[in-house]
Amino acid sequence: MPDKRNALVNTALLGLLVLATIISLATGTVQVSLFDTLRALAGNADPITDFVINELRLSRVIAGLLSGAALAMAGCLMQTLARNRLATPGIIGIDNAATAFAVASVVGVGLSLAPSAMALAGAAAATAIAFGLAGANGTRGYRFIVAGIGIGAIAGAVTQVMLSRVAIDAANAAYPWTVGSLNARSGQSVLVLGMGLAAGYLVLMSLSRALNTLQFTDAVAIALGTRLKATRIIGLGLSVMLTGLAVSVCGPVGLIALLAPELARALCRPGKVPLTAAALAGASFMLIADLLGRTLFAPLEIPVGIITAIVGSPYLLWILLRPSPRSLT
Amino acid sequence: MSQPQTATLAADDITLAHRQFVVAENLSLHLPTAQVTAIVGPNGCGKSTLLNGLARIHTPKGGSVLLDGKDIHRLPSKEVARKLALLPQDNTAPEGLTVADLVRFGRQPHQGWMTQWSKEDQRAFDQAIQAADVAGLADRALDTLSGGQRQRAWIAMAVAQQTPLLLLDEPTSALDLGHQIEVFELIRALSGQGKTIAMVVHDLASACRYADHMVAMKNGTIIEEGAPAEIVSPELVQELYGVSCDLIHDPATGSPLLVNVRRNP
Repeated sequence: MPDKRNALVNTALLGLLVLATIISLATGTVQVSLFDTLRALAGNADPITDFVINELRLSRVIAGLLSGAALAMAGCLMQTLARNRLATPGIIGIDNAATAFAVASVVGVGLSLAPSAMALAGAAAATAIAFGLAGANGTRGYRFIVAGIGIGAIAGAVTQVMLSRVAIDAANAAYPWTVGSLNARSGQSVLVLGMGLAAGYLVLMSLSRALNTLQFTDAVAIALGTRLKATRIIGLGLSVMLTGLAVSVCGPVGLIALLAPELARALCRPGKVPLTAAALAGASFMLIADLLGRTLFAPLEIPVGIITAIVGSPYLLWILLRPSPRSLT
Repeated sequence: MSQPQTATLAADDITLAHRQFVVAENLSLHLPTAQVTAIVGPNGCGKSTLLNGLARIHTPKGGSVLLDGKDIHRLPSKEVARKLALLPQDNTAPEGLTVADLVRFGRQPHQGWMTQWSKEDQRAFDQAIQAADVAGLADRALDTLSGGQRQRAWIAMAVAQQTPLLLLDEPTSALDLGHQIEVFELIRALSGQGKTIAMVVHDLASACRYADHMVAMKNGTIIEEGAPAEIVSPELVQELYGVSCDLIHDPATGSPLLVNVRRNP
């Protein structure tokens, strides 16, 4: 079935992302014209512009783009698995746990693992515990979410304790992680995230039909030939992986995972899990939020996580308080 | 019409449980090919559980459900979905989903990894919305439809699956008389095309009227099985529902009719 509407939405969101990318690259302490930015990307600008765009800004923009896309996809996936709009990795504590583990690796709690691996371990641990506490209902039902919120709170507290117990320099190094920022990224984490995102996206595309059926009750999904357990396990695993890898780059910018899928769902045709649209929207949101954080009070920089919290929290309240909460999608 | 070959479905000594609680034990059942089987019985007797067991929604604790003689839980889920369709009782759909979107889902078991919507899919889609009489509603969102229209849309999805077997869990439970008759006649028409159908029905009179074969259940066991005219008796009604009644035959159709239903003296 040709799907014009979703193709159109994806094209429009891709356009938005390209625009956000170019403006992000051009904007900063040294303002570069859009034309010169494009020339620098093509490799024929003067050395100074080339340095500003390709050396200074490009890696930050790539980090933002990848982590935004990964967080949004992880959120969209988790919402679908739990059939609940609130069930994003940020809300059920996966971000916080990944952060706690990543901070532990930065402040040096004896484990000298890379932040990516540590964040992944944290994300997986939080999910496993939430899953265990949720009992027979698995990711469906409120127990999973409530258990996750509790785990997130504990992980947040652990992070604070670690920061208050270490030398001020180490705490400073780890601080950006706790609010969500693109400042603390390491090239290696970004590379790992890029590879994880590419692999995850391919697997998800092959699963997209099965994921679409998860929007119905279990009985309908099974009747339509979906391998329910396998789809859930792979989906949950990918959601955890994407969250962990993204957090190792940008920290817990959790609200991207709530906002981007919501926009994608509003624009796309119902009945399909809009993973691609969510990823594109998430990448754009992250870049725009980071751009605002860098420019609003320049030279003072506001971490991207704080910008998304200011924009996203009212939205979260609206979801919770709106008159007739219907189940997901 | 590319209605697939026939397929057989049987339960071989199955035990079904919710968590630890055994709902039905040692059930054996064979659905007669190209006929309509009605599963009846009082609330909580395990009839929906049996249907869900047959549809592989519940995995039996013991025994096996056999599709064409093979254990249904060992067959690839997609292959099963090409032979067996289910209309579950709780059918909530994503907000804003249209009838056409829903019916297209019925083609999913026939679609491959990356294959596009084929001519075959389109044909099955057209036939299904014709059969269930929802062609005029195709672009309407499900949440704007009446209960009867919505039920027909779901039946259209199951029909689009083009399976030789169709299981329905209380297909008329929320419908008024007119819509009930509409759905039952659709079920008869589908069985006339060679589909093997099993349905859980609450209303004994409708079961008598529209089923070829009846399975009466109580407390998780099958207590009587056969053609409605042969097995329905005041004694059976007494045993199933604990009420007294008289039995006459519908002058128009000859099917058994319960009259003078009353509480036991």
